[in-house]
Amino acid sequence: MLKKARIILAFLISTQLVGCANLGVQPWERDLLAKEEMALDSEGIDLGLDDHIYFSKEATSGGRAFAGGGCGCN
Amino acid sequence: MQLISKNSLTNKVRKTANVNAALAAATCALLGTSAVVQADEGLWEMDAALLYYGETERVTAVEGVFSAKKDFGDEHIFSTKITADSLTGASASGAVAQPNAQTYTRPSGKGQYVVAAGEVPLDDTFHDTRVQLEAQWTQPLWNDMRGSTGVHLSKEYDYLSIAVNGSLAKDFNQKNTTVSAGLSLAYDTIDPEGGRPVAFSEMVIDEGQFANEEAYQAAFDATRQTDTDDKTTVDLMFGVTQIINRRILMQFNYGLSMSDGYHTDPFKVLSVVNDQGLTQSLVHEDRPTERTRHNFYWQTKYALDSGVADISYRYATDDWDINSHTIDSRFRFNLSDNTYIQPHFRYYQQSAADFYQPFLLEDSSLPTFASADYRLGEMTAYTIGLKYGMTMPSGNEWAFRVEYYQQDPKNAGFDAPGALQQLDLYPSVKAVIAQVSYSF
Amino acid sequence: MNDAFTIEQKSDHIIGRFAAMASPCELLIETKDPLLANHLTSLAYKESQRIEQKFSRYLPNNLMANINHRMGKAVAIDDETFRLLEFANTCFELSDGMFDITSGVLRKAWKFDGSDNLPTPDAVKVLMPHIGWRKVKYTQSSITLAKGMELDFGGIGKEYAVDCVAKLCAESASTTSIVVNFGGDIQVTRARHNSQPWHIGIENPEDDNSTTKVLKIVSGGLATSGDARRYLLKDGKHYSHILNPETGYPTETAARSVTVAAPHCIQAGLLATMALLKGPNAEVFLEQQDVKFWCYR
Repeated sequence: MLKKARIILAFLISTQLVGCANLGVQPWERDLLAKEEMALDSEGIDLGLDDHIYFSKEATSGGRAFAGGGCGCN
Repeated sequence: MQLISKNSLTNKVRKTANVNAALAAATCALLGTSAVVQADEGLWEMDAALLYYGETERVTAVEGVFSAKKDFGDEHIFSTKITADSLTGASASGAVAQPNAQTYTRPSGKGQYVVAAGEVPLDDTFHDTRVQLEAQWTQPLWNDMRGSTGVHLSKEYDYLSIAVNGSLAKDFNQKNTTVSAGLSLAYDTIDPEGGRPVAFSEMVIDEGQFANEEAYQAAFDATRQTDTDDKTTVDLMFGVTQIINRRILMQFNYGLSMSDGYHTDPFKVLSVVNDQGLTQSLVHEDRPTERTRHNFYWQTKYALDSGVADISYRYATDDWDINSHTIDSRFRFNLSDNTYIQPHFRYYQQSAADFYQPFLLEDSSLPTFASADYRLGEMTAYTIGLKYGMTMPSGNEWAFRVEYYQQDPKNAGFDAPGALQQLDLYPSVKAVIAQVSYSF
Repeated sequence: MNDAFTIEQKSDHIIGRFAAMASPCELLIETKDPLLANHLTSLAYKESQRIEQKFSRYLPNNLMANINHRMGKAVAIDDETFRLLEFANTCFELSDGMFDITSGVLRKAWKFDGSDNLPTPDAVKVLMPHIGWRKVKYTQSSITLAKGMELDFGGIGKEYAVDCVAKLCAESASTTSIVVNFGGDIQVTRARHNSQPWHIGIENPEDDNSTTKVLKIVSGGLATSGDARRYLLKDGKHYSHILNPETGYPTETAARSVTVAAPHCIQAGLLATMALLKGPNAEVFLEQQDVKFWCYR
């Protein structure tokens, strides 16, 4: 029961934030956002290696990418 | 770039090699650009990395990765990655420490190992090499919509995993908002050496009680199931990426993962102890055949004048009763136009699975499922690291990363009987991570 | 919105226009947003004004005037000027001394007005001691020119301004395709939405009656060197306005005009100029450099 309530609460919080659709920038204000290090997938190799380490040593995986790690490490 | 030429007045033939290349370099120096103004299409972007992971007295792993990505024009992007890793060393078997030395049988059934008094039993037969291949294709579809699909394959001696994924993403609001949905299907098969153990069967230890080798083997085989088993996983992901303002970008993801099949670790055991805390026997663990997980992930990236701050929070919960919180943060500081340092701090905390038990009590009835794997127990972990990156004049980048990772398992509320009270049943695991990468 | 520049809306792009560096300048912006077009054109106008004010040879009190009239004393320079000097130095080396920004003083002897008024050999000889890039002394923070010597950035100023404006536009609107066109010296910031080419009309300055040539460009830069209207003609011999800094006389058998395509406008401009300085070997040189080019003789 408490678990279900937690899940629903987390869902609601996430969806509320989606409602902020009037946020954003004009096309000419993207100078800082366009920097390579601001991309969500910059440092992809590091993130992939870290995901693999934490998948093997902890009970939780996923979040940023799919949870199914697909190896016998855990 | 050699420039060989003769005096113009004497009209001899000049040999000029690649004036254009020298001019291109001079132009970049003049304009302060490190590459051509628009994105290079038709060039492979490649990354290679080598990682060392070493726990004190336990597992050591070396992992090598090579990835390549190419835009075939108009954002039709293909990317591929190959990873190979090799593990050696000892890993906790799940049995508890004892005030005297203990003998264990290796999971394959061939050979034994002895654990000293007071020490946490570590099974050191664990060494494996794994190769993983993945490929992903992304391209625009219709207005402002992008599709992506990929495959993933991982193979090690006793484990094979194959997965396919597909996702769609759509931009709104002048590309300030992106909404995405993805699906992944994975199929894993496991076939360990020595076969999978029968749930809760006792570990057969040869202490001289068998008449001959065959008798021992027969007793060992009786605890084994001979067929392979498998696990299927379905993953669903929904995500929203939102630009907040000129400096801030946020991402929210919700993931649902449902897996069905063999989840047990065939190499892990539980100690059955009496009321003195002394081990009477060892039994193989057993985990449920289904697991449903929910993941909520929130990441913020903030553009500093000379760097980036990246913070994320993940909350996960599942029907094994494991709840976890993860905070991960990276702060990049650009020291100059082509060097940077990036400290990294991560904090992780999980609660124990409902079937987690550090040991079994002799006179209690057997539970439906049980595992003493500390990775399913209550624990906190933290990582602290530093990365240094530098871009060479050629535009290629070197990066060096060193991290320290410590896991602190905790007592999830189990009273330790007798001798076990004097022993450390929840030792910390400490690891050092070192990585070198090169992007070109 | 003001007198400095104008905006014109087309079906799938907007054109910003202004005058600078003695040329008609235009910005082709792939957008339907007039606010963005206004912002970018204003940016381009201000930047080209800035560069012109700083490096023009014709203004009395700017940096160039200071450098050229200091008569042997050191003049403080900033990082941008230093980078331009370094670039000019590289071009001097790469062209075996033919591209020399101290050769501007020769305009005192040569007037290319289509007439037959060649200068006397003495008029040229008296200027020669004041020419020679190797005589220029400069460091990261200062430059010293001997009395009578002058620097002339005329050969690279417009292309440099095009690249600077393109860089500013790209930083300001990184996902928008923008063409910077200063009288035929062109730089595209990034490819258009579907990698379609931009169609740019280039007027043939030689022949006002001919139809405008249409150029198709997807990305990168384009520059033209040479001016078919500036020449001297005497005794049937055609003298081009491309002067050899070592002799003080026009390069023999130079092409009339050369157009080159390269990743950056200033790179294209230098290749075109160097080709002209090679006289009869212009085409051979450009073929060796493996760039797209058009040569008119």
